Amino acid sequence: MDGDPAVMKVPRSSSVEVKEDMDTKSEKQATRDALIDISFCGSTPMLWKVSDMKKCRSEGVIGALVGSLARQPRQNVRLGRPLELRPEEALLLLEKEKSTAAVRLDTQDCEDEEAHSEAVRLYEAGLESSYQEQCVLALEDKKKTLNRVMNEKENGTEGSGSAVRERLEALDQSFSFPWSAMAVQLCTARSGFSHCPEERSFHSTDCPMPRDEHLNTRFSVYRDLRNKGYYLTSAGKFGGDFLVYPGDPLRFHAHYIALCVSLDEEMPVCDILAIARLGSNVKKTVLLCSPQEGDVVYSSLQWSSMV
Amino acid sequence: MADADASADAGNKQSVYHELLSPSELFEARSRSHKIPVRGQKEFLPSGSEQQSQRLQHSLEEHWTLLAEERVERLGNLVNAVWSPEEKLVELQSPAGKFWQTMGFSERGKQYLQPEEALYLMECGNVQVFYRDLPLSIQDGYERFLSSDTVTLHQYQVFGHLKRLGYVVNRFDPSHLSHSSVSSTYERQLNLPASDKQKKQLKRKRSQSPVSSDKHGISTEEKTTSEAHNELAETSKLPADLQEPVHLADAPERTWWMEEDVQQKHPKTQTAAPRWDFSSISFPDLGSRRRSERLASPHRSLLPENVDVGECDVSRWLGRLNMKQEKLSRRDMERQRERDRYRRDVNSDREVRRCRNWAEYSELMEERRRRRRKHRPEHLWEREETPLTQPGQCTSHRELLDQIGIIKSSTFSEGLSRLSPSDQWKISFDVYQPDTVAEFKKSHPGKPYTRMCVCSFAGPVPDLHAVKQLSFQSQDVPVTFAVVDHGDISFYCFKDFKLPTDVY
Repeated sequence: MDGDPAVMKVPRSSSVEVKEDMDTKSEKQATRDALIDISFCGSTPMLWKVSDMKKCRSEGVIGALVGSLARQPRQNVRLGRPLELRPEEALLLLEKEKSTAAVRLDTQDCEDEEAHSEAVRLYEAGLESSYQEQCVLALEDKKKTLNRVMNEKENGTEGSGSAVRERLEALDQSFSFPWSAMAVQLCTARSGFSHCPEERSFHSTDCPMPRDEHLNTRFSVYRDLRNKGYYLTSAGKFGGDFLVYPGDPLRFHAHYIALCVSLDEEMPVCDILAIARLGSNVKKTVLLCSPQEGDVVYSSLQWSSMV
Repeated sequence: MADADASADAGNKQSVYHELLSPSELFEARSRSHKIPVRGQKEFLPSGSEQQSQRLQHSLEEHWTLLAEERVERLGNLVNAVWSPEEKLVELQSPAGKFWQTMGFSERGKQYLQPEEALYLMECGNVQVFYRDLPLSIQDGYERFLSSDTVTLHQYQVFGHLKRLGYVVNRFDPSHLSHSSVSSTYERQLNLPASDKQKKQLKRKRSQSPVSSDKHGISTEEKTTSEAHNELAETSKLPADLQEPVHLADAPERTWWMEEDVQQKHPKTQTAAPRWDFSSISFPDLGSRRRSERLASPHRSLLPENVDVGECDVSRWLGRLNMKQEKLSRRDMERQRERDRYRRDVNSDREVRRCRNWAEYSELMEERRRRRRKHRPEHLWEREETPLTQPGQCTSHRELLDQIGIIKSSTFSEGLSRLSPSDQWKISFDVYQPDTVAEFKKSHPGKPYTRMCVCSFAGPVPDLHAVKQLSFQSQDVPVTFAVVDHGDISFYCFKDFKLPTDVY
């Protein structure tokens, strides 16, 4: 608990010590549960749990899905978990204290042999009990199918219902559900009974993401636009930094291409021409955004002819 | 207290276990749909209407349902494997499935997968990887398998993208390419299997007579050229040495050509000065008008030690020479006339005929040039900068463009050998086309369709040096740049383009 300063601490005033501890613990847990877990893969922040993704989207942070979709892994049209966050998005979540950030330490995994073998034992016990339950379910399912077949046959005029009934009665003895027929889950996010890796929590100031001037500029613009209610995603293919949507990107088209430049940065005219051309080709307005003393100044480019 | 702890623990467990499926859910997963719902048209402006928000809710729910679905597989369909962090490889514990045709490798009797291949197969639900007896989740796979030592996240994203499209993707291994100077462009075009060639070279080395290989003592690469030399030397000596069979026992007696080779200690000078001084050796011209029936014997130094050659009677050979005038067919004569219409035989010029040697001829040419120069305006030709060409000098556009072209166009492959490999730009993968999967052999993959270099939009654009260096490293295979932008991948490639120089 010492290691995560991002967790909100609530002042206590109760006199019953025992109850106080209990309340603090469960409250801490509750607030902790409300926080989004950001895991780092190298220096890239990622979200793995769907609950985290939902919370993140409710904050207006979209991110990008980069993994295979479980239902159909061999296609690129719709991707699945994990959700990759831009550094600006992760910084915003951390700043608003809506999330914790943790990176798995490369050093030794759970050295505690006892805890590890306990975890293995739990896992194997879990498999065994799952197998037993699935056996029962499979038997019931088979019975149901045979019953249905039998009823259909009896509703028809065929007299072969007796053969089916015999099979049904013999089912309890003859039914076999092999171990290899059991269904198992391949977890996407790190699940409870797996390894207990050492994690180090981060505060927003010392995240493993590299911070440079351009990132700071982009973050100021991102934060400002997000506070104004816009949704933002990546715009690399459009030659800009962000694509700005008036509503959720699932339902709306982007209106602006935002390019973040600092106020003292020199921009050659041909670059402005290039991005203006691009914007008019894709029917989006180009926004040049520059942070200025806590606020952000926006200039839009419009291509018009000399009339 | 104990209850409180238990409830707290339960709460903790809940947050940590909530993505685990119960056995009944696992069982029900068999009959899940495999279709992905199609996304509808997007709208332009948010109007705050009920209809819009309903549609948004519907889209979001669909979105979360798809994302929340966990991978459920029949245990018998899963291949078990173990992650080994020391070797950074995944070792298969049960027999491989269909993926073995294009992925993985065998070593010391065991089957292995590269970490990126294993992670991709985990995402497809084909392989279950264990570490210390517990299964790894996809999250564990991403965090453990991907690093700068193995494959970075960006590289894995490109790998996964291509694999999902059906391409066969292997890691690029620069040591497998041969940069030997011996293989010509033609040989590379033929795409000969490299191993056969090397085997052949090895074989030749071994089967070659130990005496001669000791004498030569030069590298294998130079061997082929030197052997060609020796073969030529051998065949040229054949008429004189018909009686002497080429036999190992005689090798020590062939002192004269061995001496030549001993001088050639440094293979680099092999292509330098020729062995013979042709200005002093006279070759008889049997076809010239002045010919004698007898040829004098060649100089003693040109012959082997114990060979004595006397005068040679060539009358028999002279009789067999065809000295008849060539009779051209009518079509040939017409063609000849066409060609000769614009050609002036240099010897028909009277002034040239008066020249007795080359020095006088060049004087005559210089004099003519001087005479021509008199017509040239002074302000153009007498200054430091003169025109690049003058009227009447060129007969075609190509010649003219060549003369006035100050900036010479360079081809892509020029100056490549001087380039040093860069740290920033590296080729990551070999990519083979999907329709070759049926005949794909891991041992002989053949020439890849393209090679991938992974970079990101945040990084610099490759400069000419990088592009040239990568194309040199890749030899005949085109290089494609895969640019990753937070999950979005674009592919770019640079193509050589030659400006047309001749206008018809």
